[in-house]
Amino acid sequence: MSAFLARNRLIVLAYAGMLALLLVTALFSPGFLSVSNMRSTVVLAAFVGIVALGQTFVIIGGGIDLSVPWVLNSAAIIMALLCGGQDLPLVWVMPLLLAGGAFIGLINGIGVAQFGVPPIIMTLATNVILQGLILVLTGGSPTPSAPALIQFLSVGRLSGFPVIALIWLALTLVATLLLSKAAFGRHLYALGTSATVAEFSGVPTARTTILTYVISGLTAAFAGMLLTGYSGQAYLGMGDAYLFTSIAAVAIGGASILGGSGHYLGTVAGAMVLTILTGLLPALNLSSGALLIVYGAVILLTVSIGSETFAGLGGRLRRKEG
Amino acid sequence: MVMSVQQTVQMAQRPAKTKPTKPAIDWRGRLLDRAPFLVACLMLALIVGIYGSLQSGVFSLDELNLDTAAAMTLMLAATGQTIVLLRGGIDLSIGGMISLGTVIAATRFTDDASTTALWALIILALGFLIGALNGLLISLLKLQPFLVTLATWSILNGIAMIILPTDGGSIPSWWVGFASAQLLGLTSPVWMLLALLLFWWWFRATRVGIAIQATGSNEKSAFLSGVSIARVNLVTYGLSGLFAAGAALFLVTQTGAGSPTIGKDYILPSVAAAVIGGVSLFGGRGHLAGTLIGAFVLTLIGNLVFVLHVSSYWQPVASGVILLLSVLASSVAEKAARNRAQ
Repeated sequence: MSAFLARNRLIVLAYAGMLALLLVTALFSPGFLSVSNMRSTVVLAAFVGIVALGQTFVIIGGGIDLSVPWVLNSAAIIMALLCGGQDLPLVWVMPLLLAGGAFIGLINGIGVAQFGVPPIIMTLATNVILQGLILVLTGGSPTPSAPALIQFLSVGRLSGFPVIALIWLALTLVATLLLSKAAFGRHLYALGTSATVAEFSGVPTARTTILTYVISGLTAAFAGMLLTGYSGQAYLGMGDAYLFTSIAAVAIGGASILGGSGHYLGTVAGAMVLTILTGLLPALNLSSGALLIVYGAVILLTVSIGSETFAGLGGRLRRKEG
Repeated sequence: MVMSVQQTVQMAQRPAKTKPTKPAIDWRGRLLDRAPFLVACLMLALIVGIYGSLQSGVFSLDELNLDTAAAMTLMLAATGQTIVLLRGGIDLSIGGMISLGTVIAATRFTDDASTTALWALIILALGFLIGALNGLLISLLKLQPFLVTLATWSILNGIAMIILPTDGGSIPSWWVGFASAQLLGLTSPVWMLLALLLFWWWFRATRVGIAIQATGSNEKSAFLSGVSIARVNLVTYGLSGLFAAGAALFLVTQTGAGSPTIGKDYILPSVAAAVIGGVSLFGGRGHLAGTLIGAFVLTLIGNLVFVLHVSSYWQPVASGVILLLSVLASSVAEKAARNRAQ
């Protein structure tokens, strides 16, 4: 048990933080823990969590994906345009857009792994290029409303549970299996810890790197379609907020931005923390400016706890084991 | 040990070769070293060339004045970013600092010159202090610059939104007029551009400037050479904050108002301008002249899109493609240089 705690100290802390935050929020606004409110909190957190899934893989591999906002936005807009409010086209539109998201990820990954372009620049470039192309495509005008099926996926319920929460749960299981049980996961942690050592140990570093960006493209595109269902419409700029929140969720979840550590289970707690904070501030009658200050403070706090200076007991235990 | 054996072998082999000659200047190596910068110059020349052939009066002082004014906010922000990139870090908080600077200016500047001057100084001091705080957090807690400055960006942005929730406020007309003040036919932004180059020419050879670049190239060897990494971080991020504050003070002459969200438009473009100009994201390599050219490239794309009569939405596409091309060029050049070295 203590070894488990030492290894996953930051993830455990993220969940502890989440619970503490829930209690504090419940204290200030008694209705917060009600079923309906918890339901809407989980739904909102699911969007952050799904986008942050890909971001987690990329960050564990030592990269970063700044193309998330406009991959998300492109998928949302193109889906709305191609479907025109009808359910039937979704049969081919959804696979097509998932493939499109994966393709953008492929380009990002190839740029980073094969051409040695720094991830920040590579993904920034694809982000602005996508932004421009979508603006050209739509001419800045709004799009048709979301198909009913997508609305069901993002706001509907199955025997009381929000559908999107079930989707999120399934994705969490897949991500956990990939990270903890699959060879890909072991390769990924090795790659993030030291690309050179991984390369010499026979890890297919290029393929692993590319795959992380492909996953990120997939989850961003998927989240974009779901988010269209949630808001009923696709609009320009709907992905912008997810750049900050996806990275913040990963950081709060205990992953090092340098790569090689962290887990999607931590990110799940990170996404919950960010969303609970969003709900907490109106209850305290605080402005959106205050929310940004709290976001920043929480990120600073969690990365400080994760830093070497504060590593303390957990770090010492880990070193003894190694 | 291995090294020394190799060296001995090399030394033993050397006399066996032909008679020693004066070491030739390695022109190809030098060219490869400066390739990213030269590519940026070429891009700028190309853009100005196309622009000039489509629009009359491009090669005039007026045009220079106009374009420099349009690029100056980005140039100031990118100057700070260049210093941070040379250190091997990144500063995302400049977005928050720029927003904060504009809202303080828009709510505090008055027609009274001394009050305004005092507040301008306060904004600059705040910029340096907040930046220095970033540097302090990074060295004291051994944190990653990306996350620290992401957090402070959020905090500063929040403070800006509390001071001024929506775009507005007012900037006294005499402060706005500063951007079009002329001396010898050149407006103040052009003089500021020259001042930035002069600053760089001086700064990069100062003790601090050298320490920053050395730390960016190799932190360990810089530390072993007696460089205080904590002090380097303090000054690096402090200067970045200072230049971001300067960017805010200039930006309000262009917008005439404050905006709690405007700063985020300069975060990644400031990195892009530096990278287009050949500054390496891995630290230690680059020059402010490149960054300023990169800022001109990014600004002039907007003009080009305008005179080509295509939708202005092509501007981000073009800047993304240019960013990719220039970073690919530098990575190819870097690979070629590495192959030569082996």
